[in-house]
Amino acid sequence: MADKKQRHLKPQMQNSKVRLTAADHTFNVIVNIFMVFILIVILIPVWSTITLSFRPNDYLGSNLEGMFLPPWEWSTDAYTALLGNDGFLDAFLNSFKILVGGVFCALVLTIPMAYVLSVQSLPGRKIINMIVIIPYVFNVGMIPTYLLVRDVGLMNHLPAVFLPGAISTYNCIIMRQFFVGIPNELKESARIDGCTELQVLFRIILPLSKAIVMTIGLYYGVSFWNDFFHAMLYLNDNQPLPILLRNILLASGMNEYVEVNAFGNAPVSAIKAASVFMSAIPMIVAYPFIQKYFTKGTLLGSVKG
Amino acid sequence: MDIGKSGSKAPSTALSKSRLRREIARHRSVYLLALIPLIYYIIFKYVPIWNAQIAFKDFMARRGVLGSEWIGLENFRTFINSFYFWSLIRNTVMYSVGKILISLPLSIILAICVYECTRPALRKVVQTLAYLPHFLSWVIMYGILLALLAPGDGVVNDLIKLFGGQPLDFLSNVKTFPWVVLFSDAWKEMGWSAIIFIAALMGIDVSLFEAAMVEGANSWQRVRYITIPAILPVIVTVLILKLGTILDAGFNQIFMLYSPQVYSVGDIIDTWVYRQGLLEFEFGLATAVGLFKGVFGMVLVLLANWLSRKLTESSLF
Repeated sequence: MADKKQRHLKPQMQNSKVRLTAADHTFNVIVNIFMVFILIVILIPVWSTITLSFRPNDYLGSNLEGMFLPPWEWSTDAYTALLGNDGFLDAFLNSFKILVGGVFCALVLTIPMAYVLSVQSLPGRKIINMIVIIPYVFNVGMIPTYLLVRDVGLMNHLPAVFLPGAISTYNCIIMRQFFVGIPNELKESARIDGCTELQVLFRIILPLSKAIVMTIGLYYGVSFWNDFFHAMLYLNDNQPLPILLRNILLASGMNEYVEVNAFGNAPVSAIKAASVFMSAIPMIVAYPFIQKYFTKGTLLGSVKG
Repeated sequence: MDIGKSGSKAPSTALSKSRLRREIARHRSVYLLALIPLIYYIIFKYVPIWNAQIAFKDFMARRGVLGSEWIGLENFRTFINSFYFWSLIRNTVMYSVGKILISLPLSIILAICVYECTRPALRKVVQTLAYLPHFLSWVIMYGILLALLAPGDGVVNDLIKLFGGQPLDFLSNVKTFPWVVLFSDAWKEMGWSAIIFIAALMGIDVSLFEAAMVEGANSWQRVRYITIPAILPVIVTVLILKLGTILDAGFNQIFMLYSPQVYSVGDIIDTWVYRQGLLEFEFGLATAVGLFKGVFGMVLVLLANWLSRKLTESSLF
């Protein structure tokens, strides 16, 4: 770990004997200025949303000035209003159901598929591979899938949101690639000892693949959690969080969304900002954990080796 | 990544029939394992391909996919002769290319700066925060953009007013909308796209830098002659992969941000297919357009895959 960090550091830091020239100094200053600039560019939109969500109802200044309002003048009206509304909790529960159901189905389908594709000696593996790749390369668009979901009667059921996307071919290929990398001797010796393929998968492969299963599971999790389009297409009620948020954001006055006083007396823009922030909280809380695995996964998918 | 390359070639061709039969019998349980995913594939990936035949039909919901009447290429003709054909293609390509032109240089510069940064704390904070927006949905992004760009009380318009300018309605002005799309995408994905470059940078042999320093190269020269050549292959790979998805201009983003006032500059193929199919119920026409995009997308992906295999010896399939 320490070694890795060192490699990450700028080379000249390790070699203090080399004298820095004026050009090096300018370079360092420009690099640091750019980094600070990026930091500010990332933070300003986030900060303006957060401060807006705490805006008191009787606030008269502009929103620009509001960004510098001291915290003791902030008001939590918008949050109490949102939390007092059942819609938010229901939507959160629906989102959670989609997340859990989706990740479960996705893994149950993706792991065996990836494993089958990784068995090098399998007769007909190329055919199965073609079956997997063709729909990935040839995407017929949203209408034919919509008709399918309608025809099999999934309309207005939560699985409609995650079943059509339960195997992402890209994830499947990444996972297959990982399985291929597991030494063949391990699998072969297990087979010679009389393990069935199912046992090889569960006793040998999966215990060695916790990281990749975690990564792919998180890939799926984030995409299901953030999905609003499929929920909008297929669900009329039982709507998840992104749909509720979208409805709140698109409503020009709150009365379009629910009865006028359902959200108390916080300013409309504060309620919008507060629902944005509250919708983002689960992701922000899970983020440190997700980041660790996602970074790994991106590199698995893009850099060969 | 190449599925076809390794392994199976040698056994399957040279095998005698009895040996093949034995191989199949030995792998019985693997086929069993493949069964459920394959059924899934047939239902959820191949039935839609089958359904796509309505692109050549006058689809009526009452009659279903099979019962509707064949009309040949009528739907395609309607699309190609329509006034929106070129504007849809233009918008789609414009957004894809624009996103590459803005995000790619930014993410490369960010990666180099993260790598060269002399302050570990600053580097860590920037890295962590820059990845975060990638995980937010476009609904949340829209909310954030509202707080920033709202016509009446957005922060940016407050700034414009402060300097005596006219406030703009950024999201419903045809002049500003494309820029909002391009820069909000850059804001969201810049850090995430930088990861792959940072990884490539970390793979550079440090002794190269040390040798360059001994030879008297300054930081600029090291970036110019070591860092950039080292990540050039990665840049090429990323560009090639983007070529394959050039018809995907970001449906979720545009769908969240656009409104009827900006359809002329905001509408891309996917958003049009959605409106035509699922709001106007022109299923046949919308499917034809989706299929049109699918066929071109396939050509582009195969081309990208082939190019990538030629140039960088790695491909997705």
